Amino acid sequence: MMLDTLKTMLAAYGPTGREGLVAEEVKKLLQGKVDTMETDVMGNLICVKKGQEGGKTIMFSAHMDHIGLVVTDIEDTGFLRVTNVGGIGIDSMKGHHVTFGNGVEGIVMLQPTKGEAASLSHLFVDIGAEDKADALTKVNLGDVCVYAPDCVQLGQYRVASPAMDDRCACALLCELLMQAENPKNTIVGVFSTQEEVGLRGATTAAYQVAPDLGVGLDVTAWGDTPETKLPAVKLGAGAAIKFLDRSMIATPVVRDALIAAAEKAGAAYQREVLPFGGTDGAAIQHARGGIPAGTLSIPCRYVHSACETIDMRDMDSALCILKEFVNGTY
Amino acid sequence: MDLKTLCEMNGASGDEKAVRNALLEAAKPLCDSVKIDKMGNVIAYKKGTAGKGHVLFSAHMDEIGFIILDATEDGLLMFRPIGGVDPRVAVSKYVVVGEKKVKGVIGALAIHLQSPEDRQRVLGYEGLYIDIGAKDKEDALRDCPPGTFVYYDNDYQEFGDGCAVAKALDDRVGCYNLLRLLQGTYPCDITCAFVTQEEVGLRGAYGAAFGTDADTVIVLEGTTAGDMGDVDKVKRVCEPGLGVAVSFMDGASIAHVELYREMLALADEKGIAYQIKRGATGGNDAGAYQRRKEGKRTCVLSVPCRYIHGPSSVIKLSDVEAQYQLAKAFAETR
Amino acid sequence: MKTEEFLRQVTALPGVTGNERKAAEFIAEAFKPYADEVEITPLNCVIAHKKGKGPKVLICAHLDEIGMMVSKIEDDGCLRLERVGGVDPRVLPGMRVRVFAKEGELMGVVGATPPHLLKDADKKHNYTFETLFVDMGMDAETVKKKVAIGDTVCFEARYVELKNGRVATKTADDRACVAIMLRAAELLSTMQHDADLYFVSTCQEEIGSYGALVSGFQLDPDYGVAFDVTHAEVPGAPRLSSHKIDSLVASKGPYLHPYLVKKLEDAARENGVSLQTAIDPRYTSTDADDLSIARAGIPTVLLSLPLKYMHTNVETFDMHALMEGGRLLAHYLKSFNDSWEGELWT
Repeated sequence: MMLDTLKTMLAAYGPTGREGLVAEEVKKLLQGKVDTMETDVMGNLICVKKGQEGGKTIMFSAHMDHIGLVVTDIEDTGFLRVTNVGGIGIDSMKGHHVTFGNGVEGIVMLQPTKGEAASLSHLFVDIGAEDKADALTKVNLGDVCVYAPDCVQLGQYRVASPAMDDRCACALLCELLMQAENPKNTIVGVFSTQEEVGLRGATTAAYQVAPDLGVGLDVTAWGDTPETKLPAVKLGAGAAIKFLDRSMIATPVVRDALIAAAEKAGAAYQREVLPFGGTDGAAIQHARGGIPAGTLSIPCRYVHSACETIDMRDMDSALCILKEFVNGTY
Repeated sequence: MDLKTLCEMNGASGDEKAVRNALLEAAKPLCDSVKIDKMGNVIAYKKGTAGKGHVLFSAHMDEIGFIILDATEDGLLMFRPIGGVDPRVAVSKYVVVGEKKVKGVIGALAIHLQSPEDRQRVLGYEGLYIDIGAKDKEDALRDCPPGTFVYYDNDYQEFGDGCAVAKALDDRVGCYNLLRLLQGTYPCDITCAFVTQEEVGLRGAYGAAFGTDADTVIVLEGTTAGDMGDVDKVKRVCEPGLGVAVSFMDGASIAHVELYREMLALADEKGIAYQIKRGATGGNDAGAYQRRKEGKRTCVLSVPCRYIHGPSSVIKLSDVEAQYQLAKAFAETR
Repeated sequence: MKTEEFLRQVTALPGVTGNERKAAEFIAEAFKPYADEVEITPLNCVIAHKKGKGPKVLICAHLDEIGMMVSKIEDDGCLRLERVGGVDPRVLPGMRVRVFAKEGELMGVVGATPPHLLKDADKKHNYTFETLFVDMGMDAETVKKKVAIGDTVCFEARYVELKNGRVATKTADDRACVAIMLRAAELLSTMQHDADLYFVSTCQEEIGSYGALVSGFQLDPDYGVAFDVTHAEVPGAPRLSSHKIDSLVASKGPYLHPYLVKKLEDAARENGVSLQTAIDPRYTSTDADDLSIARAGIPTVLLSLPLKYMHTNVETFDMHALMEGGRLLAHYLKSFNDSWEGELWT
């Protein structure tokens, strides 16, 4: 079930550079359901489901990492100093409950800024430590905390969680790998690392996999809340097929094949032109001698906050499109 | 080759010839094979005794500097920085221009001639000129045509309590330690890559990363230390004298988690002085190594360096030794 | 095809970054008479191979152009645009643009709120993509039927011959340089050369030189020669970053290989072609940047054609400089030989 898979993905700890526990969850789900599974130097989990003779190799990439705060120093008083891993807003962190990989919990706070603009160096994390020595028994420099896992159902179809970017796509990719029976083309599902700091995992994965086609799976922004206009994407209107963002212009053959798959499957879809952002699709397109690639997006409100919200109908639409897409002729 | 000789050679990004040739000669007798690759990197390879994998150690041979663009009609040279050089530091410094080492000074309008408002303003490169004493434009450009590289003219000196001051300590300390590493023999194969063009975008390392089959890369760097004066406590990322700085992440790469932990455990075990770099800013060649081809495990070991990218950077020699000891211990325990 | 006729036709074609197929097909045909093999890659690079014994040289100029994409269709039927590459929205008001819709090309006019209806304070603000729109001259329902989000939009194109051999056109950046490559290929068809030549018209330069990056990987050349446009002198342009319009410019700096630059200067001198110098202390913002670090590194030079009014539909260059550029390139490529390899780092 998509929702159960999603909840499993959302619960795992996995900031950028520390994605191992998410990979473990994926492995558990896919054990016995794919032909091979391998973890590479960058921590990417690469899962292959073989296709039929004469089929092409299609790489899908969904990133496991999400944004967090890394400990850079510990005050004598036991408070942690932190900086960002990936794009984190100070406003969206302040007052939030965070957790570390070993289960240590903390609260992020902002010190008085004395008239300066608030910056990351004004943030600190309170883990309830008595002093530096006490803090060091719980965390060390270089440890990373993330928004504490959470999952809230809003209305009938919508789900909000801090890790939706990009665990919803991880769930989607898991379901695709589990549900695609004897696909025409070989599916290489890459659960990638370090996307939030510049598509680093997908870059090396795409080099190794050297697929014929590539599709990034990621969330996209929204244009359907008060005073938000672009992109022209709505929750609940279907998965979004990307034309452009700041990392890539989708290769027309891939983009058009996704549209054709959606139409053939009778799945709702939207066309996405995003004036910012980037996805693993770009890393695939720019790999080696150039690989035709695009991105299928799940519309998501409030991206990079602790309440990233998607619509499960868009997840269903995306899965229908992908199941059709992997059986196309390329 | 000693650190003094290395620092006193001139080799800005794209103009590494003198340094490259010296490193090539120095490395030759110490390794099994050495070559210059397509980025002008010097790649020295030494086979291991036990076939226990292949580790690449990397340091960049280039340094920051300046480049001549043109001259004014009255013979002052217009220039721009190679790499990140703060123009506020460049004012009123001694320089040498080109291979012929033409002497010059970076001048600015005397303070008496500046209005009170001018004195508040940062002197940018638009307002700075190199004076070599030329009579006119033609006289200036004869020996220093556009494209000529310019260097701070400063020697290496040891001073204070185990400190050294020089230009180019970033990253000739790394080059110095790579040469020392090549003197040993290890169970694993090692490649020592002396790379070019780090200061203008990790470009040499991109080439070296493509050309090697080592899957583990240890980068030996010089890194920013701001530990004195008015630097905010949270910005004091490392301090000279506390040992080699090990990074968990920076702007260009995240250290491979297991490799990073292994490095700290090794330093503890061997009693090598180290500090965890208390910040995630900056970037270095590890970013290039990690991203090329299938990717590589990387970890960065740095010597804290005060006034980095200036004419007089300051280090503690004990940190240079610690960097060497930790790198050597790592190679020995493969 | 005569260079001028090629330019006239190729600059009129649409080839907005990422959707360059039409321009690529035309360029591929144009190179066929002078190449042994011509290929269009999946990302729309055109590779024209002119065989030689070696060394292998990749010469590139980009065929893509800046433009726009439909990002939204408003309820009243007007289109909102998103830029593709560095488009200055201030050049757009009043322009007739070409919208490439599913069923063919449509014309639209870029409109904005008329100044009479603006407050005085607002008149001081520049037009932005948020305040501009495209009027398709159709009712909303028809627009929505014919045009879709993601359709590409390109500048109006005319080829205007000015006095003294100057030409103003859309997409001189960088198809004028593609024309230089074509001219050189034509001249080389009657010259002896050792080098194994790959003339690559690259895709996707305007958003990050991806065409050069992937072609460098695919072809694995020994040397790279990148071509792009640079700024010609106009009143108010900074002296250190603009050049005379009447001859090509060779760049020097850390990203360019000094030995190849020297050989280029030799070729210019020996053949009586004037050549200006530019200094790029860091990146060049051209295909040279990525080409030079493709694979294990590719020693690369950069040549530029000075151009006025870059990134508009009236980009202006000097035809004589272009033709001389073709001659210089042909002679330069003729000079490449195996002995260079041993001299690169000495």
